[in-house]
Amino acid sequence: MPDVVAEAENVWMEYKDIIALRDVSLQVGEGKIKVLFGPSGSGKSTLLRCLAMLTKPTRGKVFLRGEELTSPEADIDKARAKIGFVFQNILLFHHLRALGNVTLGLRRVLGLPKQEAREKAMKALREVRMERWVDHYPAELSGGQQQRVGIARALAMEPEIILFDEPTSSLDPELKGEVLDAMKDLAKKGRTMLIATHEMHFAREAADEMIFQDEGRIIERGTPKHFFTNPSTDRARRFLARLVREGQSNV
Amino acid sequence: MYEFIPKYLPFFLKGLQHSFILALVPLALGFLVGLLAALADVYRGRTASTLISIYVEFFRGSPLIVQAILFYWFIPQDLLGMRIDRLMAALLVFTLNSGAYQKGYIKGAIEAVHEDQMTAARALGMSKLKAIRHVVLPQALRIVIPGWTNEYASMSKSTSAALAIGIPELANISMSVASWTFRSFETYTFTALLYFIWIFFSVKVLEMVYERVKIPGFEA
Repeated sequence: MPDVVAEAENVWMEYKDIIALRDVSLQVGEGKIKVLFGPSGSGKSTLLRCLAMLTKPTRGKVFLRGEELTSPEADIDKARAKIGFVFQNILLFHHLRALGNVTLGLRRVLGLPKQEAREKAMKALREVRMERWVDHYPAELSGGQQQRVGIARALAMEPEIILFDEPTSSLDPELKGEVLDAMKDLAKKGRTMLIATHEMHFAREAADEMIFQDEGRIIERGTPKHFFTNPSTDRARRFLARLVREGQSNV
Repeated sequence: MYEFIPKYLPFFLKGLQHSFILALVPLALGFLVGLLAALADVYRGRTASTLISIYVEFFRGSPLIVQAILFYWFIPQDLLGMRIDRLMAALLVFTLNSGAYQKGYIKGAIEAVHEDQMTAARALGMSKLKAIRHVVLPQALRIVIPGWTNEYASMSKSTSAALAIGIPELANISMSVASWTFRSFETYTFTALLYFIWIFFSVKVLEMVYERVKIPGFEA
């Protein structure tokens, strides 16, 4: 399949006393939006981190555009520059203003000249509607604004894929919307994205495929329609019911 | 009653000048030592950490005055059979001593920012070295300033240990003046005042520097 962007092949992640991923395989194709969901501790974050090689899987292979990143010869830094990552706890660089957060990678990783980096960064910040806040330090922004800068930071690098690790779960409910709107905009523009989230409303609107993960395994996958009408596994059904009950989403 | 002071002022100022050199050179060189030791401790394996902790504990675990004597008399002259310039010996031992303390402050600052910020930098495709240089250190070296200010004040006063190896720094000069004039009270109060002015204004400057460069909303 030539249009596969990111791929995990029989990936295992074993820690001393816990197995975080058990034989997980997954492909994200060009322009696809996949949503990863499941209880906390089910291995969603670990899977995303493995795909970006922020942690190296103990077994299995990870590919980006067909290049095996788990191979000892792979240039991981170069690959990471092509993978956007948006963190649950945002992780902006505290000492840089919003603009500096976005230009840093362009300047120091891609080696762009200052002016070009600035223009690219401004374009990315406009995409998440943060162009008016470029001179603010992270601590001077709300959580939602910070996360939008986090998205712009990933976006500006023109990545092959953006991985989102529960991008709204650290935000107050009233701040989630602006981040989800920014993500929907990216989805409409055909960005390739893999998103771990419990925002089922977003998933229903934007996802091409949903993947339910539990205890380190992929239990069930299907379209949003499949999951919201008739999930085939008990576990997925129970989990979705619980999400609705706890009001974590507005399905 | 302080009427004799002006007559001896040139001696005091000469002493102060020695004390400045004995504080500022070791603080600057000790910063480089402390920075490298902190980086090696955090980013290089266990062997490096063990060696560094031996170094730190040695210099933290005995009085500076004893170290000065060891490094001027005992090690070069008795052990190695060579003569060494007093000032050089003092600068060396003060640098190593200050470096040991500065390592602790800098390491603490690096650890306060390291983990998450490193992850974010690596996710952008930065190498470890670039991440240290462009993300970790710019933050760590800002938040280390208050701790470093303590080390500055401490080191400035500790220069008096150099009197043990006969360097005419401020404390040494004031002992001489006291013995020449038999006016101990005035001599030592004046000496204390000189140290106080030096340290008070330096600390104010360092506090201003910190206020200027500190990261909004992020203080460790």
